[in-house]
Amino acid sequence: MNTADSSPDSDEVRIVRTTSTFDCGGRCPLRLHVKGNRIIRVEGDEGPEPEQLRTCLRCRAYRQMVHHPERLMFPQKRVGAKGEGKFKRISWDEALDLLAGELIRVKEQYGNQGLFLATGGGYLASLHNGGLAASRLLAQFGGYVTHYGNISSEGAVWASLTQYGSVMVGHSREDMLNSRMILLWGWDPARMISGTNTMYHLIKAKENGARIIAVDPRYHDTAATVAQEWIPIRPGTDTAMMIAMANVMIKEGLQDQVFLDKYTVGFDRFKAYVLGKEDGQDKTPAWAAEISGVAAATIERLAREYAATKPAALMDCQGPARSAMGEQYNRCAATLCALTGNVGRPGGSAGGGLMGTPVAHMFRMPAIPPGKNPFEQDGPNVKGTLDIRLRVVKRVHINKIFDAILRGRAGGYPSDIKLMWSMCNNYLNQTGNSNQAARALKTLEFLALNELFLTPQARYADLLLPVTSTAERSDLTRPWPSGPYLTFVNRAIEPLGECKSDLDIVTELATRLGFKDFNPFSEDQWLRMFVEKTPDLAAQIKDFDQFQREGIQRISLPEPIVAFKEQIEDIEKNPFPTPSGKIEIYSQRAADLNNPLCPPIPQYLGTPEDRNDPLYEKYPLQLLTPHPRNRVHSELYKVDWLREVEPHRVWINPVDARPRGVSDGDEVYVFNDRGRVAIPAWLTERIIPGVVSIFEGAWYAPDEQGIDRGGCANTLTKDAYSPGGASVMNTALVEVRKA
Amino acid sequence: MQIGFYFDQTRCTGCSACRVACKDWHDIPAGPENWMRIHYTEKGTFPAVSVSYLIGPCWHCLEPVCVPACPVGAITKREEDGIVVVDPSACLGNEACDEKCRKACPYQAPQFGSQPGARMGKCNYCLDRFQQGKLPNCIEACPVRALDAGPLGKLEELYGTIRETEGFKVSTRTRPAVVFKPKG
Repeated sequence: MNTADSSPDSDEVRIVRTTSTFDCGGRCPLRLHVKGNRIIRVEGDEGPEPEQLRTCLRCRAYRQMVHHPERLMFPQKRVGAKGEGKFKRISWDEALDLLAGELIRVKEQYGNQGLFLATGGGYLASLHNGGLAASRLLAQFGGYVTHYGNISSEGAVWASLTQYGSVMVGHSREDMLNSRMILLWGWDPARMISGTNTMYHLIKAKENGARIIAVDPRYHDTAATVAQEWIPIRPGTDTAMMIAMANVMIKEGLQDQVFLDKYTVGFDRFKAYVLGKEDGQDKTPAWAAEISGVAAATIERLAREYAATKPAALMDCQGPARSAMGEQYNRCAATLCALTGNVGRPGGSAGGGLMGTPVAHMFRMPAIPPGKNPFEQDGPNVKGTLDIRLRVVKRVHINKIFDAILRGRAGGYPSDIKLMWSMCNNYLNQTGNSNQAARALKTLEFLALNELFLTPQARYADLLLPVTSTAERSDLTRPWPSGPYLTFVNRAIEPLGECKSDLDIVTELATRLGFKDFNPFSEDQWLRMFVEKTPDLAAQIKDFDQFQREGIQRISLPEPIVAFKEQIEDIEKNPFPTPSGKIEIYSQRAADLNNPLCPPIPQYLGTPEDRNDPLYEKYPLQLLTPHPRNRVHSELYKVDWLREVEPHRVWINPVDARPRGVSDGDEVYVFNDRGRVAIPAWLTERIIPGVVSIFEGAWYAPDEQGIDRGGCANTLTKDAYSPGGASVMNTALVEVRKA
Repeated sequence: MQIGFYFDQTRCTGCSACRVACKDWHDIPAGPENWMRIHYTEKGTFPAVSVSYLIGPCWHCLEPVCVPACPVGAITKREEDGIVVVDPSACLGNEACDEKCRKACPYQAPQFGSQPGARMGKCNYCLDRFQQGKLPNCIEACPVRALDAGPLGKLEELYGTIRETEGFKVSTRTRPAVVFKPKG
């Protein structure tokens, strides 16, 4: 690596240049100070300013996670009741024999459809990733059932594919400096990062004179830092407000008609809807005010200002899209970007919520090929489809895994699940309805888990396999859709305890299942192969050893990336990758779905558990579950340096707290028919009345009465997905009562 | 020479990267001993609310009142650079002297762990890094470059001489070595 003596016994301090692989929104070069087999300090990037890639607080505490006393250090099998969390140490031989035996037993007894593989995003890298090696092994073993989609971004993905035929809808973050106006519409990069240095560039855009307005139910830290104005809005109503803004623009003739005529299809259909020609409802600011809680005058003013200020960047994201009709929000944002002619323009934006840029994008990261899954071979062709129904013929939507375990084929799912092998995830905690998940896991015949910690989900395991952390292995990884740069993960320390990588676990299991030479390559061989055979890596990395030594390859661009710039410069030569070749405000592919809840133009649609649901009488508060800043979803939850930064609390406006007799710091119950969490209240003026907020990722910890003492937000959320496939994490009604 | 800090309150998002970086560099466990603290201010009522954050290291005051407060002279201000340092081996511990230094300081810079007899620790401007010509770790850790450090005169040249900001009252008695870009 970097110094002469890298043996684990050395007293010398070595500097290892590497990065983490969290599902965190950033990707930051780290210099780990390593002494013996222990990381003793963390320093960040030392690249030249102003583009130094500065890490956030989470990797500043990286070593406390890697060396945490509660890390799983040896294989264990269950000795107590399922979910009790009692385990006994066993050897690797016994553990792998047990897993191999159960895989064979279930296959023989129920067929391969009895096997469910739960992979995940706990670490995102080429070699040691969410479970591709296990996918490959189980494909060779005859097949398996797995899940479709992700928790984070499916609404935005559906919207971007529908509107643009592409998920590369982002600009380089530096391009915000070209914006005269930036709308933070449900976007809080101070917490969710959105690419290393994004918040820094946003601050520079503000200092450069951009007018910044935040539309959000919360006055989040990004808004508090850069926004000149906060427009509080009720959750799930963003689309209504956007449609009313379009209404104002259309009635006052403020839309960029030249742009619409040249680059889009279907504006007239959208216009007819907005003006109420189809349903008799003119979607006026007054109409939206009633729904969203934003004053009609504010909507009018924002519509005029946004239409008049060029270039302007409407920055939608993925949080508001994690809702019952989430994709409509991103589609409508993209449509406003077209109405104002901001797509493809420096300082503008395309909307769509994904923010990805095509250079060094993580989607183009090399990986172990999983191979074709025999179970899916007679399924429908899902390539490029917008029809989520086709995607769940042979797979289970990610937010329905536990319902599928409980109800199987009788519930319309692809199979009856008997055995689950899980890695790189904590879905009990991180998908909707944790209580149901806990019930489901108890019904499995066998649950094997590769894990670093005894997570809430791991407590239900029959077999626990201890996995190395990213610091204990070498790999390639990539920045979240920003950058551009490429990163190399250098093994900083040897595996702790008896931990093995998922790849090594799978490889050793393969031998037991009768597959010889399943993995003929060493880590180093894999990584060299990846670099040689991946086009963008091969083009950028001239010297593998230097790349490994430095841990990063920075890529300089002549100018910031602007999504769809080529299309806007020459639409004849460079059509959009949609069926019409244009931006599809009206999508025939969406129309062909024949689903009124997934309409061909963006629409505001009511949903269960919005304020018009009769349930609202019983549960009159809407729940938000945003990203935490001091952990990565449920990862890093145990790290004390991060926990003490911010106590886990429910945000509640004093207007809602007072009639309930709740004072700041009081322990309260937040509850609905799905569950009850106990959590301290934080009284703050930073949240719109009628809404409470609990950061996702705190660990589910039910007591004897079933009260979740850990304050897991998903104890309250619903295991549902939107018509476009978004996991519904921000559409839930609750009540709050003093504990 | 007198070192000092610069804090741009308009940039700070309260993320606490500086605080965690401080604990990492100085290897201080989670708990009450925080050489870097983050102070939070929320004002107004919905929707006209304002929020600001303020860092809280030791300000290495020009007239550090912790120095005379210490009964055993464990705290000194270095002549060459003005860094206020503590000799933990001389410190009597939190129980024996009842944390006189912490009580004297208007900014709670002297910090104690929770164990009985814990000795005082505080921001030392990352003296080890300073001696290698490096900036304190908190400065380099700030993702939004809201912090700077260096000779106070140089900081005043670069950033001006504003000595108060939201959540911070300058002590004319101790004369903290800091200049601000205030919020609001």
